[in-house]
Parts: sequence; structure tokens; C-alpha cells
Amino acid sequence: MKVKKHIFVYTMLVCLLGSSPLLAQQYEDYFQVKAVPDTTSIRLGEQVNISVTAKVMLYALKGASLKVVFPNLPDSLNHLEVVSRTPLDTAGSNSQQKLWKQTITLTSFDSGRWELPPMKFEVFSVTDGSYDSVFTEPIIIDVTTVAVDTSKAFKPIKPLRRVAWNLLDYWPWLLGILLLVTGVVLYFVYWRKRKPAPKPPPAQPLRSPYETAMDELAQLGKDKPWNTDVKLYYTQLTDILRQYFEQQFHIAALEQTSAELLQNIKPVTVLNQQRDKLQSILTLADLAKFAKLQPSPQEHEDCLQKAIAVVEWTKPAAAPAPEPDSTNQKK
Amino acid sequence: MENTSYDIRQLNERIHQASAFVDLLNMEINKVIVGQKYMVERLMIGLLAQGHVLLEGVPGLAKTLSIKSLASAINARFSRIQFTPDLLPADVVGTMIYNQQRNEFVVRRGPIFANFILADEINRAPAKVQSALLEAMQERQITIGDSTFKLEEPFLVLATQNPIEQEGTYTLPEAQVDRFMLKVVIGYPTKDEERHIIRQNLQPEGQTKINPVVNPSEILEARKLVREVYMDEKIEQYIIDVVFATRNPEEYKLAKLKPLIAYGGSPRASINLALASKAYAFMKRRGYVIPEDVRSVCFDVMRHRVGLTYEAEAENVTSENILSEILNAVEVP
Repeated sequence: MKVKKHIFVYTMLVCLLGSSPLLAQQYEDYFQVKAVPDTTSIRLGEQVNISVTAKVMLYALKGASLKVVFPNLPDSLNHLEVVSRTPLDTAGSNSQQKLWKQTITLTSFDSGRWELPPMKFEVFSVTDGSYDSVFTEPIIIDVTTVAVDTSKAFKPIKPLRRVAWNLLDYWPWLLGILLLVTGVVLYFVYWRKRKPAPKPPPAQPLRSPYETAMDELAQLGKDKPWNTDVKLYYTQLTDILRQYFEQQFHIAALEQTSAELLQNIKPVTVLNQQRDKLQSILTLADLAKFAKLQPSPQEHEDCLQKAIAVVEWTKPAAAPAPEPDSTNQKK
Repeated sequence: MENTSYDIRQLNERIHQASAFVDLLNMEINKVIVGQKYMVERLMIGLLAQGHVLLEGVPGLAKTLSIKSLASAINARFSRIQFTPDLLPADVVGTMIYNQQRNEFVVRRGPIFANFILADEINRAPAKVQSALLEAMQERQITIGDSTFKLEEPFLVLATQNPIEQEGTYTLPEAQVDRFMLKVVIGYPTKDEERHIIRQNLQPEGQTKINPVVNPSEILEARKLVREVYMDEKIEQYIIDVVFATRNPEEYKLAKLKPLIAYGGSPRASINLALASKAYAFMKRRGYVIPEDVRSVCFDVMRHRVGLTYEAEAENVTSENILSEILNAVEVP
């Protein structure tokens, strides 16, 4: 009986001693963290990139979901300055494992041997709320100053270093010049090959205001619009006269009232006794246009004749014929 | 109803006879008013066309004397209101006062109850007083308490503005200025006229007395005839063209005026231009309107109805400049 009891106790001890490292080994396997510097020795101000990795083996999770919290390094610690942190990279994850990577860049401006303390990674089980933490190994970084040989004299500042000339450095200019030359050549080719501009049709001889007015008055006499619409006739008659004055004497006759026209035409032409004729035409026309006056047929004819007389009287004098060349006569 | 040529000839004769009093009136007023024919003519246009007149001119140009003389010559009641910053609407239109003996409120009529009102320096009174007067001008009636009183016809308001002193004044808003049919700008008399004025004012027998030559009833008859004056559709079109050119100058080859005009003439401008043209034709003893009539009154009817932009003011362009351009561009029928 005693022997059986001892066997049971030893068996339990073996089981306990054997299971503990196993469990520990399993735990270490399922969650691993690493911090690996690219160098451990820098000069003042140089940078060290520390690659921080956290790896979780999915087989150990058994369906439970975990949350890994990366260490939150302060910007400055133990003579070391954090220059930058890259975002978490999970590109290495696959169906077997979950992998998070981050690169932390450090620098230091104090010479000496500085230790980056162990970084604490925390892991939470979302499923059962359990919590654990894992630390990285500490990293020792040697920061040295630049070695100066004080036994030698000061050297002058180095001149600017010249860069070798390279044609490709000027490619935008070259491209621009090339395009410009191409454009000029194309335009020149187009200019050489284009069709000659069509010749303008021969200009019609311009009719003088006098000729136009006389023709229109003659046409009015032929049409005799007073037989159908007296108002229209007097409107056309005064319009012909006003247009004639406007073109011949350059006064805004169409925009002037009868009184203004009589007043303003005085300085530009000599009407003499024709002035009364013009006044009577305009007065009678105003009455016909604005007061529904119905002048007699004789008055219509008279007005037309008076208008012709006024235009005849005010027509410009014909230009004098050119005199024969006196030098030719002498010869 | 379509007017025939016979109707117009008859109308012309009637107007020729009925308008004879205009010469009489002119002669009587000219006994005391030297020069300022233009202003007197515009007053008569306002009287005949049932419109009110806003006068702009420096003090001492016989504005008060003119309207007083006109009132005397027509045998009508004249009243003058000096507009001041402390004036109240009740000072113009009247108010209810308590009669202790009769133990009741009675109406006390204000100075507006007259035929001819001179609202002197209208821009010196605050907006509520201006508004009271302008409402009376428009409605031609006054309400005091519960009672409404019709204003006696003829009713003509002549308001004055001083163009040089603008400090402490209340500028009339555009909507209220629009209620004046005419805005007349008057200037100084000529040298000869000024000499005549001095002599007339210093004569030992004193100021010449104006005799009544026309009755108010004759004026009312004349007003009816003014509205009968024949206006051809060509003249109507001319008026419309002038007013539209103030609104859309680019349609009349006046695009350069577009940035200078803030707003053009309202339909009230067209109505007043037509009415004033008829009154002018009546005064010229004609029964029909001709383009000269429109052009004669155009500046006075339109100058306060064309709004100027800041650009125009910066370039010293006046509404008269704009109207001149328009009249020179719109074709006369």
C-alpha cells in the first residue's frame, strides 16, 4: 500500500515537473517579440533603425482572439531620441501566424554607451479577458564622437564640388526648342502650300447721298403711296430727306425733331429761300403724321416737288476738272 | 375710340380757345417774376397735368414768389410749410385737439389743406413727415383720426431742395421722388434779368400786385382737355423707346451707358412723360402732341427716375448726360 502511495506521489511530481516547461515552451512559441537594431554603434547624430516584430502563432489560439499592444516609447529616453516610427505592417501574416512589424528610428547626440530598455508588449485575450506581457531584450548602443586629430593644423573649407555636365539635365529646354522649331517649320510649310486668298470682288462705285435721295424721291413719286396711306407717305418723304441730310452734312437728322433739324441745318448748308420749303414740308408732315391731317392731293405733289427742290439746292458742287499739267504745256 | 382728322381739327380748335388763359396767366405772373420762364412753364405743366413738382435750386431764385403768384393769379389758396428736422406729421396734415367747452375732440386741419403748397426744403424733415406729405400728394386725401378729408382741387405741391447743403438732411428715397411728376433744376437769371429784378424790387410803389385772371374751375376744365389731347401711336412708341433706352441702353446702340445706369425709368415715368407732353402741347395751344413736346419735358420728367451707379458718380456723369445721349440716339418719328 505504501509503495502504491509513493508511486502516485512520484507520478504526480513527474507530471508537474514535466508539464510546466512544456506549457512555458508552448507559451513562448505562440507569442514572440523581437527588437533588432541595424547597428549598435553610431556617431553623434547618426540614426539606428530598430526593427520591432511581434508574432502570434494562430494554432495556439484555438479560436480565441487576441489583441497585441505595442510599446509606446516616449520621444526621448536615456540619451536616445526617437526620430520616427513607421506604421504597423502586417504584410508577413498568413494562415499560420499573425505578424506585426514596425521600424523605430533612434538617434543620440550624447556620446557614451546607452541602453534602450526592454520594450513591453502586452497581449489581451478578447475572449476570456486574460492578460499577459512580454519584454524584448535590452539593446546597447554605443555613441561615439568624430575622431579629431588635434595634432594637425586646420584645413580650409572645401570648395564646391562640380557636377559633370549632362545633356539630359536640360531636357525640358531641349524639348521646348524642338517643339518651337517644329512649329515654325510646319507653319512655313503651310504658308508655302496655302492657296492664295480670293481676290475681293471689284468695288461697286459708291452712290452719293444726293443720287440716292433723288432716286428714292423719284420712286416715291411713281409709287404714289398717298393714295393708300397718307401717314406712310409723309413718313417716307421726311425719312428720305433726313437720311440725305445725315449722310450729306453729317448731322444726326434722324434723331432730331423738325424744329431742331431746321435749326441745326442752318450752319452746314445755305438754304436761303429753300428754308421755307423745307419748313413747310416738315410742318405738313408733322400734321399728317401726328394730327391725322389729310392734305389735298395737290399738297402731296407739292411736298414732293419741294423736297426735290431742297435736295437739288443743297447738293454738293461738282469737283472741278483737273487742270492740264503746266510743265507739259511748256514742253 | 378712333379719332378722325375731323375730330382732331375740332379738338384743336377747342384747345386753341380753352388754352387762351395760359397767355393771360403768363402775363400776370411775369408782372412780378422776372426770368424763370422755364420754372413757371413747368409749374403750369404740373398744374395742368395734375402732377407735383420738385424744384432744385439755390435759395433766392423766386421759388416761393412764383408759386405764390400762381396761386394769386388763379384765385386759389396758398400755403407754405417750412420743413425742419423737428417737424411732425401732425404739423403738416393736422390733428385732433380737445375742445374743453364742447367736451369733445375736434379736427384742426393742417396747412396742407390748400390748393397750392410750397414744401420748402423738403429734405430737412425726417422720413415720417416726408411720407405724410407724399401720401397726401398721391392719395389726394387726408385721414385725421377717424375722418377722411378730400383735398380741394386743384392741388399742387411744389417741393424745394437745396442742392448745396446736404449736411443734416434726409434725402428723399427713390420711391418717393418718383411721385413727383417733374423735377426741375433752376439756375440763376441772366445779367439783364438780374438788373430788372433789382429795379423791380426797389421801386417806390412796392411790389406789383397780382390780380386773379383764372378761376380754379377753369383749371379743372383745362385738365380734362389736356387728357383729350391727341397722341399718335408714333409718339407713344417714341416715349416707350426713350424710357426703354434708360432700362436697356444696349438695345439702342448705347451699350456704353449700361454700367452707368443703376435702374431706368418705371412705367410711371412713361405715364408722366405722356401726360406732361400733352400738357405742354396744350400750353402751346395744340390739340396734338409732336416729338418736340416729348423732348421739351423729357429732362424734367426723367432726370429723377434714372438711377446712377457709383461708376457714373465717380466719373461725374449726371442723369442729364445720360438722357442727352439717349435723346440723341433714339430716332424721332
